[in-house]
Amino acid sequence: MERVFISRLKPFLDAVAGKMDLYIPHQVGDHVVCKRYDPEASAEVEFNEIRMCTPVKEFLFPLRELAAVFPEPVEPEEVKPFAVFGLKACDLRSIEILDKVFTDEDFKDPSYVARREAMFTISSDCSAPGESCFCNILEGKPYPESGFDLNVSAVPDGFIIQAGSSKGRNLLFTHAALFGDVPDALLAERKRLRTEAQRQLAEKNAEFRLDAPVREIVEGRYDSDVFDEVARTCVECQACTRVCPTCHCFYLYDTKRKDYFAKTKMWDSCMRAGYAEVAGGANPRRVLGDRLRHRLMHKFAYFLDRYGIDMCVGCGRCVDAEAGDVDIRVVLKKLNDELADRNSKVAKAAQ
Amino acid sequence: MTANIYQPINGEVVEIIEESPTIKSFVIRPEAQFKFDTGQFVELTLPGEGEAPFTPSSSPAVTEQMEITIMKAGRVTGLLHECRKGQPVGIRGPYGKGYPIDEFAGKEIYIVGGGVGLAPIRSLFLTLVDRIDDFKSVVCRFGARTPADFIYKETLFGQWQKLKGVQMKLTVDRANGDWDGHVGVVTTILDRKDVDIDNAVAVVCGPPIMMKFATVTLLEFGFDPKSIYLSMEKNMSCGVGKCGHCMLGRYYVCKDGPVFTYEQISKYPKIWD
Repeated sequence: MERVFISRLKPFLDAVAGKMDLYIPHQVGDHVVCKRYDPEASAEVEFNEIRMCTPVKEFLFPLRELAAVFPEPVEPEEVKPFAVFGLKACDLRSIEILDKVFTDEDFKDPSYVARREAMFTISSDCSAPGESCFCNILEGKPYPESGFDLNVSAVPDGFIIQAGSSKGRNLLFTHAALFGDVPDALLAERKRLRTEAQRQLAEKNAEFRLDAPVREIVEGRYDSDVFDEVARTCVECQACTRVCPTCHCFYLYDTKRKDYFAKTKMWDSCMRAGYAEVAGGANPRRVLGDRLRHRLMHKFAYFLDRYGIDMCVGCGRCVDAEAGDVDIRVVLKKLNDELADRNSKVAKAAQ
Repeated sequence: MTANIYQPINGEVVEIIEESPTIKSFVIRPEAQFKFDTGQFVELTLPGEGEAPFTPSSSPAVTEQMEITIMKAGRVTGLLHECRKGQPVGIRGPYGKGYPIDEFAGKEIYIVGGGVGLAPIRSLFLTLVDRIDDFKSVVCRFGARTPADFIYKETLFGQWQKLKGVQMKLTVDRANGDWDGHVGVVTTILDRKDVDIDNAVAVVCGPPIMMKFATVTLLEFGFDPKSIYLSMEKNMSCGVGKCGHCMLGRYYVCKDGPVFTYEQISKYPKIWD
């Protein structure tokens, strides 16, 4: 079964929750976070218009986790299958990015691999862009095309559920009685809604449009003063790296327990002043502007060189979260304009 | 089941050698044979306290035990200096790329080292000496702050000076006691006639400021940036190119290094900081 129709989300999600733990979007104040689904407690399930606040990395690479126990190694606890509903195209792209890092052929991170295999992804279309969404600037779309097990599109009077993997197809097949066929008219309507979401996104982000590939921009303006300038409005809260679905810096620390020693893996942030400091006190990125430059270079040039994909999905979480006033869209635009300005001067001089 | 890349193998400190007032060598016997290439590094764990990256200073030909020479520089190294024989430790690795010694065959090898930077150099030196006929010559220029600050004194002042195919010159920043050798920073004993630059590679390891000036001097002599090998000190943590701490421009020092040619890293700012 490739594609089905259902008029309400609850029966579908109850079916998923009958097989595994399910996490769903949940509105808290202005934000949508992810919480465990309780079929008894929920009369209906919220459909999040845009990505949740919670970055999907929390499910695959938790804030803090046990990395090793010694001297006697311990088999890690088995990860039970779980599903997340409400992921968006940008979230799926962030999983693709994290996969590159943690399932890299040289060194696979065992805990990430286990969680990734246990995860069932249920994504959905974005109905309208949020305030900080800018996936289109980075060639993203407001609806998923691949990388999901199932994808849900809201259409008039119900939802189209599309399978994207054999796991997804099996689930639809097992619960075939819940679903109806998708009439062609609804497919056409899904297409119209998607095009409309794209149009709104393009309109909203017109002012941030870039004239060259992002790598060219950040590499071309590597020496720019913009990094030091924007650093003046950064308060070093590190929120950008915490909520970023692709940032994956971590540190390992050692602790002594009652009868064993443990190595724990915990999120770190390249925006932290002491992040690159060595024991003797040397620190190549003591200056905040240098750290901002490094973060952008890593996202748009270094990662691309190594893995063939940008390390930013344009979700805009960093724009919403940070306590200072650094807007990655504005930084990229400033660098873009500087580069365009320089290129036009070079062209004039050549005439 | 995926093997755990963060799991250390157990080991024990079997001997501690006082090298200088601030530097000790720890002879470590791992539970199982441990192989590495010269110039690669390991993550040494002091259980319950922390982990830090070090390049073994012993020959890779020895796999039953390894030596790690450690300067007291921070929290973990300070605690390591308080350890005694029998201390259990953990070892992860080996990680990264070491010295490409096969590419050095037939060439003169110009080794410039300073202070605790002689630790990785000792491993390289022992590896080269084992197959000395493969190289045209091994020319060493080592420095320390004072005579007491030299590590591996016994072999450095004795046996190593007499090895076939090896030329060695030492210097100290400040002389004292019965030192009758050269006085001055290590760059003052470098001479463009020391080696045939067109058929030589240079290896530099030491404190960042020394590496900077040595590299500048070598470039002035006419060394190709591709032929200058630098051992970069960064705060490698995971060792496998994921955690991000040791990034130097696009490189993960832990995975792509720690040995780099100057050509690879020269375009990045503040490489010596």
